[in-house]
Amino acid sequence: MLYDIRLNLRYDYDAAAGGGRHQVRVLPPTISGVQRVIAASLSFAPTPSERSDFSDFFGNNVTSIAFRDVHDALDIRMSARVAVSRPEPGLDVSPDIRRLREELDAVRSLSPDTPHHFLAASDHAGIDADITGYARSSAGNSAVSTAMDLCNRIYRDFTYDGEATTVQTRASDAFDLKRGVCQDFSHIMIAGLRGMGIPAGYVSGFLRTIPPRGKPRLEGADAMHAWVKVWCGRDTGWQEFDPTNGMRASNDHITVGHGRDYSDVAPIVGILKTTGGQVGEQAVDVIPVVLEKA
Amino acid sequence: MAKGNHKKIRGWPHNLLEHYQPIDGVVDEMVDASGNPRPVWKEFIEALEELGPEKLAQRFARADQYLRDAGVYYRVYDKAGANEREWPLAHVPLLIEEQEWAAISAGLVQRAELFEETIADIYGPNRLVEKGILPAGLIAASPEYLRPVVGTRPASGHFLHFCAFELGRGPDGRWWVLGDRTQAPSGAGFALENRVATTRALSDIYGEMHVHRLAGFFRRFRDALNGMAKISGGRVAILTPGPLNETYYEHAYIARYLGIMLLEGEDLTVSGGRLMVRTVSGLMPVSVLWRRLDAAFADPLELRPDSQIGTPGLVEAIRRGAVSAVNALGSGLMETRAMFAFLPKISRELRNEELLLPSVATWWCGRDTERDHVLANLDRMVIGPALSTRLAFEDDDCTRLGSALVAGERAELIALIEQNGGDFVGQEAVTLSTTPVYVGGWLEPRPAALRVYLARTPEGWTVMPGGFARVGFSLDPTAIAMQRGGQAADVWVVSDRPVERETLLPQEHDSFTRTLPGSLPSRAAENLTWLGRYIERSEDTVRILRAYHVRLAEASDPDMPLLADIRDYLEPFGIDVETAIPPGLIGTLDSAVYSAGQIRDRFSPDGWLALKDLSKTIHQFATTVAPGDDATRAMTVILRKLAGFSGLLHENMYRFTGWRFLEIGRRLERGIQIARTLVRLTRTAAPDGALDMMLEIGDSVMTHRRQYPVQAGRRTVIDLLVLDPLNPRSILFQLERLKAEIALLPSVGSEGHMSPAAKEILQLNTAIAIKEPSDMTAKALDDLATEIGGLYNSLAKAYFG
Repeated sequence: MLYDIRLNLRYDYDAAAGGGRHQVRVLPPTISGVQRVIAASLSFAPTPSERSDFSDFFGNNVTSIAFRDVHDALDIRMSARVAVSRPEPGLDVSPDIRRLREELDAVRSLSPDTPHHFLAASDHAGIDADITGYARSSAGNSAVSTAMDLCNRIYRDFTYDGEATTVQTRASDAFDLKRGVCQDFSHIMIAGLRGMGIPAGYVSGFLRTIPPRGKPRLEGADAMHAWVKVWCGRDTGWQEFDPTNGMRASNDHITVGHGRDYSDVAPIVGILKTTGGQVGEQAVDVIPVVLEKA
Repeated sequence: MAKGNHKKIRGWPHNLLEHYQPIDGVVDEMVDASGNPRPVWKEFIEALEELGPEKLAQRFARADQYLRDAGVYYRVYDKAGANEREWPLAHVPLLIEEQEWAAISAGLVQRAELFEETIADIYGPNRLVEKGILPAGLIAASPEYLRPVVGTRPASGHFLHFCAFELGRGPDGRWWVLGDRTQAPSGAGFALENRVATTRALSDIYGEMHVHRLAGFFRRFRDALNGMAKISGGRVAILTPGPLNETYYEHAYIARYLGIMLLEGEDLTVSGGRLMVRTVSGLMPVSVLWRRLDAAFADPLELRPDSQIGTPGLVEAIRRGAVSAVNALGSGLMETRAMFAFLPKISRELRNEELLLPSVATWWCGRDTERDHVLANLDRMVIGPALSTRLAFEDDDCTRLGSALVAGERAELIALIEQNGGDFVGQEAVTLSTTPVYVGGWLEPRPAALRVYLARTPEGWTVMPGGFARVGFSLDPTAIAMQRGGQAADVWVVSDRPVERETLLPQEHDSFTRTLPGSLPSRAAENLTWLGRYIERSEDTVRILRAYHVRLAEASDPDMPLLADIRDYLEPFGIDVETAIPPGLIGTLDSAVYSAGQIRDRFSPDGWLALKDLSKTIHQFATTVAPGDDATRAMTVILRKLAGFSGLLHENMYRFTGWRFLEIGRRLERGIQIARTLVRLTRTAAPDGALDMMLEIGDSVMTHRRQYPVQAGRRTVIDLLVLDPLNPRSILFQLERLKAEIALLPSVGSEGHMSPAAKEILQLNTAIAIKEPSDMTAKALDDLATEIGGLYNSLAKAYFG
């Protein structure tokens, strides 16, 4: 699938900010075997005093910006054309948890995509006895079936509720609430898998929404999305699951970042010199592109 | 218990060792297995015995007095919150013979080299993980493994520059490494203070024994830091978490001792990829940062987002190689307890060497063989968190002695280890050696651990010949952590030959140039200005209160108009005269102490003690003093102490930018206070006696009597307290001083032009200089107070932003 993606993040400050420094992670990367970025751009208003781009440890695109002058709003616009083509899942040959553990120990590397980075508790997805207990009911004959089952159960057992949680909410709190959004469901699934000894990470990105039949697409109505990647053994490697929709990641899922949890891939982190609060808005458009034959 | 042959001292029938009972099976530092003092101790004990108990008590009191006078403290966190505690010096030093020290040094230098190579590999090519020597999962799970700096080579070429190692001597007489400190080791400054205090007490003995000096170690490290900074064209700074940190005293002490800027995270900013300090002369580059805060707190943007003490962008500056951190961010990984288990193999792999100094035997339970060994030998083990960076004997919450577990706990722990082995390490339970402490006239053995410091110089690692021993108050080896009531002792490395005497001061033959102090950080300038303002504000308030209470004591009617007028005048400033020592006044002085506490590296110990004494006095008065006569006397005492403090600063502070901001603060505040008080007490409707009171508050009664052959009238009072350029209490005098000092401040971004503050003070000064007393109406005085206040804003904008 080919998409044109537009993202607009806007922050209005109650009191003018004297300066600030931010890191922005919104540019999708090219990922071999998953997606190819054909064009992408990122712009800021006001224009930052400094700007630099780099890849972080997990390979995410980071744009670092700094403001020295007084400003009372920050407007970020990203647009990209991305082609997504994920392989069809093959036959499930992934090991059970015990064998997975052995295969994990045999991975002698700390390169960014090795499963070791994704097993320990992290800030938002700490290992929690209740979540682990819940997850254990999904433990099956293979890592893939375990993850798929847990993904489906979270989809069934939890209620989507945009008001119940915030970006700061941790897995254990959302688990108690039994409510939340894609970020919370992903954290719960990650915490559950890690509790069982299965490495799991957080994927941020976009999801194409299909408008109801006969209705036009509403502009800016899409939102940023999050799902889960699971290490399913030496041969099967990383597989991605979307507990918010009870499905595997498909060609409708466009990846922006990978990390241990939300805090590794937050679209914007920043330190601002200001005395007041801020109001943020987010608008996302994911538009499928149909190339006309010449 | 066998005793050695000590000569009996005439007139003193006891010898110091009479009650000395080392524990069976434990090595004692002072006496050997048969109770005879070891050679290096013999001379020392005889010298102590010769002094006799009375003199010894006096001597040790002298050491304690020194520490109190120097204001040495550390901070303890307990249920009551964070409190400053006096430094608990164990007066008897730990003596170590030079030959033995050489062996310890060689072992530690090897260890430091090994650590450097290990950390470089973990953040670089990762050969140790690839070869299966270090488990990837262990590193990846550690909170000290900092992903944002993976792949970054430090600008200085090295990760480690300053390390400390915690040693203990086991029952077999060998020294073992109990813990590694590679993050931001503390205590080197305290070691220096221990030395100074101990030699105050034992100067003659110290002089006669050949004890290695410490100053050279610090000089070499300072030169190394300056050398690193020179290459990259920036400054050296010490980064502290701030005055609330448990070892802030030491940060300020080291900064003062070595002449290095002491900064907090907010003093720094990153601009154009470089780390800069905000100073009153603008942004200045910092290229070497000796950090005393944990790496995770260094940059809220890329490390812990909840850090309030970091500098956003610091990690990026480090990745670009614009600044060298001492030690590099991420070096704390080597403190991980489980790391012990892998060091022997790493040493063979990287250096083809065996460890000269063993670490306490450690097994990581993340691998089957090791886990089984730990479970089979649980009774001989200390079990603790694998990723902990705390020393086992400091960490009683999570670290358990296998033999002390009751049945239920034991089963629970075994189950946990079997399930999540990777979370645990087992370490052989160590018994520390004992060293003597002086208790009530006798020496008694106490367990001790030794902390030794290493610094990197261009010639390689240099070892501090001495260090810092932590000694227990009881025989319980876990009670030696400072946080739980341990004591600290000096460590003397004793030679049988005379040793080189070293000092930080340049020697006779060294050439020197006089350098002016470096740029003043903006935050320090701001704190100095406020210190000046708070001190002056306290003084002005005290003068008014004294004038009030003198009259109250004599007045038949406490509601007489003048007294009521003062009451009303002070009320809006939060000063309630009904209380002899109003909380508002105490608050002002507390603020002065707070401001001074933010910049302790810029104070002499005398200045700090004078301020603390002032604060103590006023808090004491608050509970005892009654209004009237009593309060008058109390105010006089406070005034005298304020004058003492001001005098110390005035006479002793180097007259450079720092002093200037302090002076500006005082002059601003005095100008404002005099103007405001004048508005009140010289108004047409002012009650009887107001003018005389005004002269008293302005400390100008005698001058007025000499100067004017008439009774005080509004015009003479205004003339003396506003327009007389020779009266140090007049407003014009304050303006002249402000003009002079502001003119000498660094010019910021205004080449060749006067700064806004300089223009304002020039205008103000000129305007007042040509005034007549009749011009100074109440409104004119009120405006003047506002304008002087506005001057502060211009200065703040230019220098403190």
